[in-house]
Amino acid sequence: MKLKLNGKDMASGIFLIVVALAGLYLNMDHSLGTARRMGPGYMPMLVFWIQAGLGLIVCLVALASGPDPLERWTGLDVGTLVGGILAGVIAWKISPSIWSFFGQTYNGVGLGILVGFTVMAFSAGWKILAIICASVCIFGLLLEQAGFFAALTGLIIASCLAEHTHTKRGVVGLTIFLLVLCYWVFIYELDIRVNLWPQV
Amino acid sequence: MELLISNLLHGFGVAISFQNLSFALLGALIGTAIGVLPGIGPVATISLLLPITFGLPATTAIIMLAGIYYGAQYGGSTTAILLNLPGEVSSVVTTLEGYKMARNGRAGAALATAALGSFFAGTVATILVAASGPMLTQVALSFGPADYFSLMLLGLIIACVLAQGSIVKAVGMVVLGVALGLVGTDVQTGQQRFTFGIPELSDGIGFVPIAMGMFGIAEIILNLERPESRSVLSTKVGQLWLTKEEFKRATPSVLRGTVVGSFLGILPGGGASLAAFGSYMMERKVSRGKHLFGQGAIEGVAGPEAANNAAAQTSFIPLLTLGIPSNAVMALMVGALIIQGIQPGPRMVEAQPDLFWGLIASMWLGNLMLLVINLPMIGMWVKLLQVPYRFLYPSILVFCCIGVYSLNNNVFDVYMTVLFTVFGYVCNKLKMEPAPLLIGFVLGPMMEEHLRRAMLLSRGDWSVFIQRPISATMLGIAAFALILMALPTIRKGKEKAMAE
Repeated sequence: MKLKLNGKDMASGIFLIVVALAGLYLNMDHSLGTARRMGPGYMPMLVFWIQAGLGLIVCLVALASGPDPLERWTGLDVGTLVGGILAGVIAWKISPSIWSFFGQTYNGVGLGILVGFTVMAFSAGWKILAIICASVCIFGLLLEQAGFFAALTGLIIASCLAEHTHTKRGVVGLTIFLLVLCYWVFIYELDIRVNLWPQV
Repeated sequence: MELLISNLLHGFGVAISFQNLSFALLGALIGTAIGVLPGIGPVATISLLLPITFGLPATTAIIMLAGIYYGAQYGGSTTAILLNLPGEVSSVVTTLEGYKMARNGRAGAALATAALGSFFAGTVATILVAASGPMLTQVALSFGPADYFSLMLLGLIIACVLAQGSIVKAVGMVVLGVALGLVGTDVQTGQQRFTFGIPELSDGIGFVPIAMGMFGIAEIILNLERPESRSVLSTKVGQLWLTKEEFKRATPSVLRGTVVGSFLGILPGGGASLAAFGSYMMERKVSRGKHLFGQGAIEGVAGPEAANNAAAQTSFIPLLTLGIPSNAVMALMVGALIIQGIQPGPRMVEAQPDLFWGLIASMWLGNLMLLVINLPMIGMWVKLLQVPYRFLYPSILVFCCIGVYSLNNNVFDVYMTVLFTVFGYVCNKLKMEPAPLLIGFVLGPMMEEHLRRAMLLSRGDWSVFIQRPISATMLGIAAFALILMALPTIRKGKEKAMAE
């Protein structure tokens, strides 16, 4: 007899249960109140118990509804994921002591995510996800200090790495086109408040 | 009746102002463009443009966003017919017969049928929205908090029943959405819930970062992971006119499609794609040309195209009258309204007559514009298809990033978007539908408020939900729908229908 485990459903069910348990744990800080006068913790309690129950049902159904296995992970995929998370956390914690810029607002977090995804981009399985997410982080890091144009240029060029058919000329043309378009739409027409050029 | 006409006249007065007309046109143009382009849909586009609509008056903003949704239904058929690729999910079935017609040299006729059928259906559905709106609103005003709660529960459950794939997982996603909606300050006690001491979370997780991450950027990544070969255009559009014979065959299909679409559009979880699909199944069974299906039957284009556009209009009914979004696009509309400071619900017709009637009038005007945009200008849209995706996705990313940042001028939202991108990507890999999550996220806070109010009024007695007749009926229907779907035969039938 073949194993009919549905890997995707099983993972989804476990995910729902884990989030629900975490939610129930965090919800211990909130007073429940009574059904008549519900406190801030009442609704979360209901929601997370229902979610845990549903997760359990999903897991049970998954035992027989397959086979639908998860995509195979290579050793490199696992390695870069773990390495990425580690490098990201280290970068997040250490960076403020190297340059005060990373201590401001969420720049340290941004750097951490960027470092993490950069590590992940080395394995083929994560490449596209990692490059796109990293390029968004580059935008976030550059925008306030280096300005609108630098942030957009960084975002566009980094995101183009995700597609191998890009040519140099195409990327330059696209960058110039998008810079002009965004200037017109967001600065000229919508007048959003943001620095255009690097801040000294 | 007279009241309806005077209201509609008022609506046209609002819709015809220069600003509203030009934004309706802009919405229709954007909608057609993203409809034509495979790989970017109305959900992603509307979430992309949400931040841009802040500066606009509420009516203008909603008129433009609505234009994008129904414009996409027009544009999607062009790609389906000419390229055998669905430009939108709702035009998947159009590829079946429409592309065959194009191969037979009748591409022009298929495009004309799609556009004219959509226009007719759009007109009928708009009248339906106008007529049923105030009526339903009257009914809704007699609802108590318990009834509201049950109604929202019913909406959520039906949305799950009709969603693709496993129902339990879809319900799980709804609940997860409700859970995400809990983050932030508790309205009644002011206590911070699940904010981890992050000040940016005290107003709750932003709607736009979730929508853009899960529907905008995650879509880009998934599209890049499965490169599609877009075949070079070889089909000629040819004559745009229908022969007498074709016209005769298409007319009854358009009528049937309009009815099916209008009905399925109102249902929660319905909307354009389900309608197109339902109409196709129906045409294959009942139309006179059913023996021609598979060889380019015009009925298979006329019915679904009418149905998807009718549904795109009527799915506004639950939103405008009850304040309940029936699909992901409508959930975005709720987001847009709340950002504008308007609480969607039955009081909206009274409190915002400009918005309600102006939107209805603009829907009809927008359909008229789309007819012009699509038929004579078809060549322009075909050209748009030659823009490769590698140039499109950086453009989408750029708009996403600036849009998200400009919400609060805070990079925090940018990193939240990254978080939800990863989450959306994981959900897709696990075959968890993101649309129910978004609906749950929007409805969650409202449900909590109604639940608390209902329980306060009933002095903590849970039986209030089955004692009030309206509430009991809603819960009954919800339970019935769930039990029905648990029955193996019906579930198999649904799976089969979804697989085709």
